[in-house]
Amino acid sequence: MASHEVVQYRSTIRSAINVFTFVFLMVFLIWTVLPFIIMFVSSFKNLLEAFNLPEKGDWASVISVFFDFEPTAIHYRELFTERNFATYFFNSIVSSGGSALISVVLGAMAAYSLSRIDFRGKNHVFFWVISTRMAPVVAVMVPLYTIFRGLDLIGTLPGLILAYTTFNLPFAIWILKGFFDNIPYAIEEAAMVDGHTRLGAFREILPLAAPGIGAFLVLCILFSWNDFLFASIIGSGGAKTLPVATRELVTPTSIQWGKIMAAGVITSVPMTFLGLLIRKYLVTGLTMGAVKE
Amino acid sequence: MASISIKNVWKMYGEIEAVKDLNIEVANGEFLCILGPSGCGKSSTLRMLAGLEHISAGDVYYGDVRVNDLPPKDRKIAMVFENYALYPHKTIYENMANALKIQKMDKSEIDSKVRTAAELLEITPLLDRKPHELSGGQKQRTAIGRAIVREPELFLFDEPIAHLDAKLRAHMRGELKIMQRKLGTTMIYVTHDQLEALSMADRIAVMRDGVLQQLATPSEIYNRPANKWVAGFIGEPAMNFMDCEIIENNGKILLKNDAFESALTKEQSSIIKTNARGNSVTMGIRPDDISFATSAKESMVSGEVLVTELLGGDMLVEAQVSNSRITVKTKPDYSGQMGDTCQLKFDNTRWHVFAGEDGVAYF
Ligand SMILES: Nc1ncnc2c1ncn2[C@@H]1O[C@H](COP(=O)(O)OP(=O)(O)OP(=O)(O)O)[C@@H](O)[C@H]1O
Ligand SMILES: [Mg+2]
Repeated sequence: MASHEVVQYRSTIRSAINVFTFVFLMVFLIWTVLPFIIMFVSSFKNLLEAFNLPEKGDWASVISVFFDFEPTAIHYRELFTERNFATYFFNSIVSSGGSALISVVLGAMAAYSLSRIDFRGKNHVFFWVISTRMAPVVAVMVPLYTIFRGLDLIGTLPGLILAYTTFNLPFAIWILKGFFDNIPYAIEEAAMVDGHTRLGAFREILPLAAPGIGAFLVLCILFSWNDFLFASIIGSGGAKTLPVATRELVTPTSIQWGKIMAAGVITSVPMTFLGLLIRKYLVTGLTMGAVKE
Repeated sequence: MASISIKNVWKMYGEIEAVKDLNIEVANGEFLCILGPSGCGKSSTLRMLAGLEHISAGDVYYGDVRVNDLPPKDRKIAMVFENYALYPHKTIYENMANALKIQKMDKSEIDSKVRTAAELLEITPLLDRKPHELSGGQKQRTAIGRAIVREPELFLFDEPIAHLDAKLRAHMRGELKIMQRKLGTTMIYVTHDQLEALSMADRIAVMRDGVLQQLATPSEIYNRPANKWVAGFIGEPAMNFMDCEIIENNGKILLKNDAFESALTKEQSSIIKTNARGNSVTMGIRPDDISFATSAKESMVSGEVLVTELLGGDMLVEAQVSNSRITVKTKPDYSGQMGDTCQLKFDNTRWHVFAGEDGVAYF
């Protein structure tokens, strides 16, 4: 599990590889980041400026595409005043955050018991849990819709949260079990000898699973935040989320590029910050050296 | 403080019988070592005493309380784990303070206890580190520290100093013994190192393949091993064994084999007379109880020197006597060379005779 510093020996091949790596990474960076920059810049342009593109071959004025315009916040303002984006933003946060929280709490407990306790048919239970993720989303959508309609959950936030949870929970159990498997049981034994109850011992090792739990929380949020299918079918109406609302900016008569770009920014920025925030959680290896071997 | 009774205890892991019908009584304040080779069920026994392992059959009592179904936290024990089991996310200080914190002890009191223990174990400079920044021996000392800061009714130590260097180990043997004496806390100490057991324990329980072989004081274990296996396991260098025959000649009982024929003492004869089961026996004698004969009259057996080994103040001589190899412990001034013939003298008051069929000791 522990990583090592890999020794590198200087040679011409190594330098060539280094140059190649550098070039590749630069291209990759531009390829990845450029669409975001264009989206960001365009969201502050009015319609005229947005389509003010340089002539083919006119490389000199490419720069002006990025800087030569009068920034306007009109798209953002309209999204929030005319288009109710505040509500959709709220819906997105509640549905993704709620389902992630439920999935991780229930998932951690289920994963813990699957990891620690031997019971008859354990492997079957575990396989059943994973197997619920094997069917493609589209395949279960129709039956799910019928069930949810019967329960009056269509178009409600609890319905959307439940729908996301059905998909996040098995995944959570599966991933988190791996994390718990990696934590030696001996640490809990030590905690029990120190005077903890069984539950106290579980809490004592939670910090060790924190990187896994934190990382997985984000994965769950990402899945629901970016989801379109569930949101459009199960959340449609009362529980509209950002992706669905953005889609509605494309109407038969017009495509409102400025607003779409602004909505894109609103949707991506929180996830970008979340990603930066949990980076330190993803640094694992905390159990190193606690137990002999 | 607690006395411990282990009554007819079995431990089964599926089909594997790790501990078989174990019976041990430990007096209050006693220092008991459980000694045996790897895989003989020492840790399983200790873990059952701690409540970490289900007791497959039998009962364990602390005083007169049956504890089979008592969780570890209610047993008032402190344990050193074979694999340390430190909290990886806590500093050494927090590792040692954890149990006291759970007891809601006063902060300053915790601090003084932890620092005293750290001083004793020479880990004071490490208190702010995390376990993964420590060497194996330092982790092991932390694990001991975590146990001794508490005032439990029972200490359970599982090979607590196996990973220290020789000098520190000798030092810790003394410290642990003194600490246990001072506190008067019952101690059950698992080890596979006979030197540890012999030097520290009030009594030793020798185990083999899950079966208790002998439960006695160190000197009794050394001087009166219960069977051939214990005799061979205890003592360094190991006891010499020779297959012999018991014969009677003119009312005298003799031990006979290809290489020698020698009379037993009066006491030994009477034991054999009353208990003997069959004539074939194994004679065992420690290297310390064999010497080189100075005159032909003294000599009991002759052999051929195979190799000599100088160990500081002693010398080990390995000799071929008929079809056995015999180790003799002598002084470094012994001058025999490889291939020389040597005359050996067995101290017949110190030898042991074991029944041929099951290895149980006659004396
Ligand atoms: N969890 C387990 N499942 C199955 N078998 C086990 C388990 N734990 C121990 N055993 C077996 O039980 C026997 C006794 O094990 P135990 O750990 O008590 O040995 P030990 O005397 O402590 O050995 P060591 O000196 O190597 O620590 C061994 O044969 C071992 O293989
Ligand atoms: Mg062991």
